Amino acid sequence: MNKKRKGVLRALAVCSAAVMMMASSGCAKGGPGGPGGRGPGGAQQGGKIAVITKQQLSFWDDVKKGAEDACSELGYELIYTVADGDNDYVSQVAAINDAIKKDARAIVIAPNGTTELNEAFEKAEEKGIKIININSLADYDGVISLISSSETDGGGVAARSAVKALAANKYDFTKGVKVGIIGHTASTAEKRIEGFADVFTQQAAFKALQAGGMQDMGAAGDAAQQGGDQAQQGGAAQQGGAGGAAGTAGSDDAMGAIIVSLRKNIVEGERCAKRDDAKAQAKKLLGTDGNGINVMFGTTTNTTLGICDAVEELGLAGKIVVVGFNSDEQELAFIRKGVLNGVVVQNPYIMGYVGVRYAKKVLDGTNVPNRLDTGATFVNADNLNDPFIQLLLYPDSY
Amino acid sequence: MAKDKNKAKSKSMSSGVYIFAALLLAVIYIINTLLVESIYSNNSKMSTRTSQSMNCLNRINSELSEINMDTLGIAAGIKTDMAVITDDTNRRYANIKDAENTFRNIQDVTPDAMRRFDYAMSIVETYKKRLDSLGTGVVESGDYIEMGYILKQDIYPLQISASEMLTSTIDVMSVKIASMMKQNAIKTYLLMSMMMIVAILGEIAIWIFAKRSKKARLELDERERSLAEVDAKLKATRQKATDLAEMNVLTGMKNRYALDNEISGRLESERFNIAVFDLDNFRSINDTYGYDFGDEYLVAVSDKLKEEFSSVAEIYNITGNEFCFVFNKSISESQAMGIVQNIHRVMTSPFEVLNLNVQLPCSGAVYHYLPGDCLNVNSLLVKLDTAMRNAKMNGGNMVNTVMNM
Repeated sequence: MNKKRKGVLRALAVCSAAVMMMASSGCAKGGPGGPGGRGPGGAQQGGKIAVITKQQLSFWDDVKKGAEDACSELGYELIYTVADGDNDYVSQVAAINDAIKKDARAIVIAPNGTTELNEAFEKAEEKGIKIININSLADYDGVISLISSSETDGGGVAARSAVKALAANKYDFTKGVKVGIIGHTASTAEKRIEGFADVFTQQAAFKALQAGGMQDMGAAGDAAQQGGDQAQQGGAAQQGGAGGAAGTAGSDDAMGAIIVSLRKNIVEGERCAKRDDAKAQAKKLLGTDGNGINVMFGTTTNTTLGICDAVEELGLAGKIVVVGFNSDEQELAFIRKGVLNGVVVQNPYIMGYVGVRYAKKVLDGTNVPNRLDTGATFVNADNLNDPFIQLLLYPDSY
Repeated sequence: MAKDKNKAKSKSMSSGVYIFAALLLAVIYIINTLLVESIYSNNSKMSTRTSQSMNCLNRINSELSEINMDTLGIAAGIKTDMAVITDDTNRRYANIKDAENTFRNIQDVTPDAMRRFDYAMSIVETYKKRLDSLGTGVVESGDYIEMGYILKQDIYPLQISASEMLTSTIDVMSVKIASMMKQNAIKTYLLMSMMMIVAILGEIAIWIFAKRSKKARLELDERERSLAEVDAKLKATRQKATDLAEMNVLTGMKNRYALDNEISGRLESERFNIAVFDLDNFRSINDTYGYDFGDEYLVAVSDKLKEEFSSVAEIYNITGNEFCFVFNKSISESQAMGIVQNIHRVMTSPFEVLNLNVQLPCSGAVYHYLPGDCLNVNSLLVKLDTAMRNAKMNGGNMVNTVMNM
């Protein structure tokens, strides 16, 4: 009897040994492979990220696509809300509250207002929700990062492209350039126009100086001429950085004078939101024969389309350089027709993608830059079919 | 014998338990080793691939940022030797292409990561194209304002976006890897718990098995014990039956049947002394006092005979009042004759039965048997009875001797 019991006990002991052996071998092997979770990006994954945009436009659809891709690739659940217009902060406050209720871990928002959302932001921050801005910045301290495309730089890109187009047409900059601008009603118009005007006048002035100053400008013209000569000497002498810098310094006064004169030749129509209104405003500026205007600039899709309508109707296509903003299919059609020289395209897809990615980084405890400029690209007939431009225009084509 | 068998059985049973345990152990160990090995090699493959792809992506990113530093240097007027810079840029771009090819050749990059990588490389291509299209004209013209714009508005955002997409590729891969690692970890833990459960179940099975075999052994023991009991009872019963068959119920002496059994084997080869006695006129007792009295009288006589002569002879009560004495081998012929006289004296002495003193005469016959005298017990008894009847016919109360022929 005793012997039998001993036998059973011995069998049990053998089995326990087997279990222990197995467990130990499992642990030893499993350990280094990383079930411990020390792999790269091993920080806590998942959760919800709320992305809130401004209004129902293809631009914001592309932001949404970027955010969707980032969420699916980085393992987050997206809560997407779009407001009813770029002044509609009420919907955005509701969306922020909804995000709080749904336990979102971060909010990526293109704020419709500077301070109107602050109360909602405070509530979100109290819950530990991280706030990232895209496109424009809210006046709130808790905003960790802004991912945007600089509006002034966008305007600048448009201006440089316009100057290039004029130069390509062998335009004589010494005659001065007359510019017509149709702006839209939102706050971004201001910055785009400002950027456009600054860069355009500088560039045109430089071209004019290179071509020998400006005609009909009196003393200013003479000064410009002198400066221009100096600059050319400096440039031609090729005396390295110092010579170039001296040349630039010497031309500063003359440049200034030309810029002032060029600025006087920039005319703006009334701000408008609709295509028809923009067309009417453009026609007003252009008269029947173009009214001496060399360049037309539209700050949004609708204003650009309005200008194109007017130019086409007046038969001025090819005679006036038209540059605009955004990448509506109809704008692309005008580019193909030759009415529109090109448009400035931002990268909303990247904005949405990076917005979510920065949210993830912040949640993972990584530092992110507090500003990121996603840039603007000029799209014209030459580069329309480039892979990168196609990617910008159709972000889901990949 | 039975106990030995049981022991052997229990030994083989407990060795069965050990074999089972050993097999279980081996199977568990092999399965465990194989699965853990596969998970481990999976993990290590994955980390190799990961570090390879991370290397590629980081290389592309750092070369790109070096190129960007060059353009920044140009714009700032620090770097002016365009030929050197162009060479440098082309070399770095070749490195980027090389890293791109390496990355594309890495197996099992997820579609998500590849998509992100394609996006990044498309920006890198555009970036390079833009650099190429700028040529050296702007730099040579000394238009630092334009250079600044090119850098700020064309080059820098592209580099930033490309870098973001490259690092995003790393992120996307990391997320996938983290989730795969997590899956592997879950797999490992599942596997371990499964094995643990199997082992525990095995232990329980062995325990139950051992307990059952113990119980079975106990049951077997019990059955054998009861079987032995039954056997013993059966033997006792059989003995009783035999006894009954060979015994006179009234006197408790062996009967004629017993006599037959016991001496028929001796007739051929042995010599012995044998005698029969019979109470004369016993019937008169039955007639006078009743059968009960007669029975009691017989019991008293037989008790007395047993008391006096069972040490020298085997006594049989072969019919109602007839007794047969087979003398022991040690008793000689003359001794037998003396004993016969004593028997006669005892049987004819008075007996007190039911407070009555009764005395009956008796006759007998004695036979000094020689081997081969009789063919069977029957003829032996006929010889004795004939001799005894002769005595009775001659007046009774005497002992006759069977004459040897």
